[in-house]
Amino acid sequence: MKIRTEEFNSIAKKEINNAYARAFLGLLPPIIAMRRVQVMSSFPNPDQALKLSRAIRSESIARLPDLLEEFEQKATKSGAKVLWAKDAQEARKLVLSLIRDRGATFVTKGKSMVTEEIGLNEALEQAQIEPIETDLGEFIAQQLNRPPFHIVGPAINVPVEEIRDLFLREGIMKEDTTDPVQLGYAARIYLRDKFHHIKVGLTGVNMAVAETGTIINVENEGNIRFNKSSPITQISIMTPEKVVPSLRDAMHIIRLLCRSCTGQKISAYVTLDTGPKKAGEIDGPEELYIIIVDNGRSEIYANPRTREVLRCIRCGACLNTCPVYTKIGGYPYGWAYSGPMGQILNPLLLGLDRTQDLYRACTQCGTCRDICPGGIDHPALFLYYRSCDVEGNEKLAGKKRPRSERISFSLWGLAVKNKLLWNTALRLGRFLTKKYSSDGWLTNLGRLFPGWFKERDFPSISDSTFRERWKEMRKGKYGHP
Amino acid sequence: MDTRKEIINRLRSAPRSSSEPRPDVPPLPELALGRSELIQKLMDELTKLEVSCHRVVREEVREKLAEILVGEGITKVIVSNDRIVSAFDLSAWGKERGFMVYRSSDFNDRDTLKRVVFEEVEAGVTGVDFAVAESGTLGIIHDHNQPRLVSLAPVTHIALVPTSKVVPIYEQVVDEVFLKGGNIPSQFTFITGPSMTADIKATPFKGMHGPRRLIAIIYDDD
Repeated sequence: MKIRTEEFNSIAKKEINNAYARAFLGLLPPIIAMRRVQVMSSFPNPDQALKLSRAIRSESIARLPDLLEEFEQKATKSGAKVLWAKDAQEARKLVLSLIRDRGATFVTKGKSMVTEEIGLNEALEQAQIEPIETDLGEFIAQQLNRPPFHIVGPAINVPVEEIRDLFLREGIMKEDTTDPVQLGYAARIYLRDKFHHIKVGLTGVNMAVAETGTIINVENEGNIRFNKSSPITQISIMTPEKVVPSLRDAMHIIRLLCRSCTGQKISAYVTLDTGPKKAGEIDGPEELYIIIVDNGRSEIYANPRTREVLRCIRCGACLNTCPVYTKIGGYPYGWAYSGPMGQILNPLLLGLDRTQDLYRACTQCGTCRDICPGGIDHPALFLYYRSCDVEGNEKLAGKKRPRSERISFSLWGLAVKNKLLWNTALRLGRFLTKKYSSDGWLTNLGRLFPGWFKERDFPSISDSTFRERWKEMRKGKYGHP
Repeated sequence: MDTRKEIINRLRSAPRSSSEPRPDVPPLPELALGRSELIQKLMDELTKLEVSCHRVVREEVREKLAEILVGEGITKVIVSNDRIVSAFDLSAWGKERGFMVYRSSDFNDRDTLKRVVFEEVEAGVTGVDFAVAESGTLGIIHDHNQPRLVSLAPVTHIALVPTSKVVPIYEQVVDEVFLKGGNIPSQFTFITGPSMTADIKATPFKGMHGPRRLIAIIYDDD
């Protein structure tokens, strides 16, 4: 997938005029958000349930290195092979060589955000191995070569006519239909044959349990179950922060994950894998590889401020409540992760310089923070990113602001600290801006500050300041009170 | 330095942070229910998920199963070999009633089993190891008697649920399966309703990849 985070503004402008997507966004996110509230109320004390999941994520991150080692040890003991990859390239190489050695010409994939992050599909294609996404939404998004519109429904915005044309063109179905259910069943039949004959199945991981070395997948369709049941080799890819201390913790997180994600108490299938199949078992993988991909996570962890983002459990609830996402959808975010989740994550993975508009596209309303089951304070992180960017933080690839902006703010800083300078500058400013003022507002300043005036006006500098009026008043100009 | 060490070392050298205080697990209402209320709660949750629930006594299970198959127009089934299903001797029952019954224990290679579950049978019949009232969730331990594909590949999944397997919440299941010191299963599956999706135009439908129909026969065994 081409990374297009730098085109945020232009794509957003296009998408905001996409009537179909807008109608969709006006309808679906509020419904999911409402369902979330409804099903949260099945807890006798929803706040406490939320607090507990946040505490579990907090503890998971605080104890990350210990938990990770414990997980590795237990998983290895159960017969799984745990491999480590430093970055995207190393991860791709590992997966490729595993698949090649097994002579597979195609692999089926369960939905996995990290494989999108490391560009696995492109690498597989280049190596003549066909990657087949099997989550219905991902399957469609993959064929259309588009980033996910929503983390839960990656192609939920695509008109049925477009899906029909695609399925007919690709030979996925023969009958001409725009019925969503019939389209779904066509994909079912097409992918069923793939599931039957796969040698290698690829999946992501929702949680890795340190206590037992168990990996957990959460899904509704059953495609991940097929990927873990039919093939001889299973490769599951995760990032370090997926680890949680115990199974009880994992089950409570699942309660919050499913409620936040789709408004379900629990999704249709939750599978817990501990090692490959045992002797005598007829299906399930003979070998289970768990690949832990760092790809920048340990750097993110090194900074206690940025560490917070690792608490994310990828439920997508923040998308449905974000006033920005619900107007523009997932495409402007330009990568695998969208909405507030993408806005906190992408800048750390790609650099503040390449994601300038992402952490600025926020109204600081804080609804994402209020509902986050991971306990992330998104707005505070955006402010932190902005300050790191302005200061040109090297680790985070801060870009600093344009020269003109920096000079303006330096002058401003100078002026507000000095009474004489301030008053002089004010009088000068009043004189210079007079010709742009109309009805008490400045709507432009010629060629100065076009960025500001594109979106908003500025109140004119008034004819006299409070201090001037006060002085005049003392002289009796306005009469004594 | 190898990659593993490099990653772990970097994580270890990061400044330590403390974790937030942990509140107790909120006491879920299911924990306060009596036996019969618990079973009722399970059935309510299953029904909400569009799972067909049939409550019978033990002696009626075979009859009910036959009735369901006839009603659904199913003639070929595969049954798992777990203790619950085995107790009903469904091979003999199939012969009597004229159903083609494959037993998962008849197969000893993956490919033949796959051919049968993907292409031959119309339903898979399994027992369950747990039924969780909290959300109408069935829990299955997969082992040599309970292959993974039997409850997954056929378009209909019929679960036999003895009431002794009903528990209030998930924690009791994971404690029992994983923390009792016995053999940890290679896979444990929580099933909550039929396979589903809403990925096209947000139109929900059942049976995306897994079973389109989930049927539970709940019977007293204690």
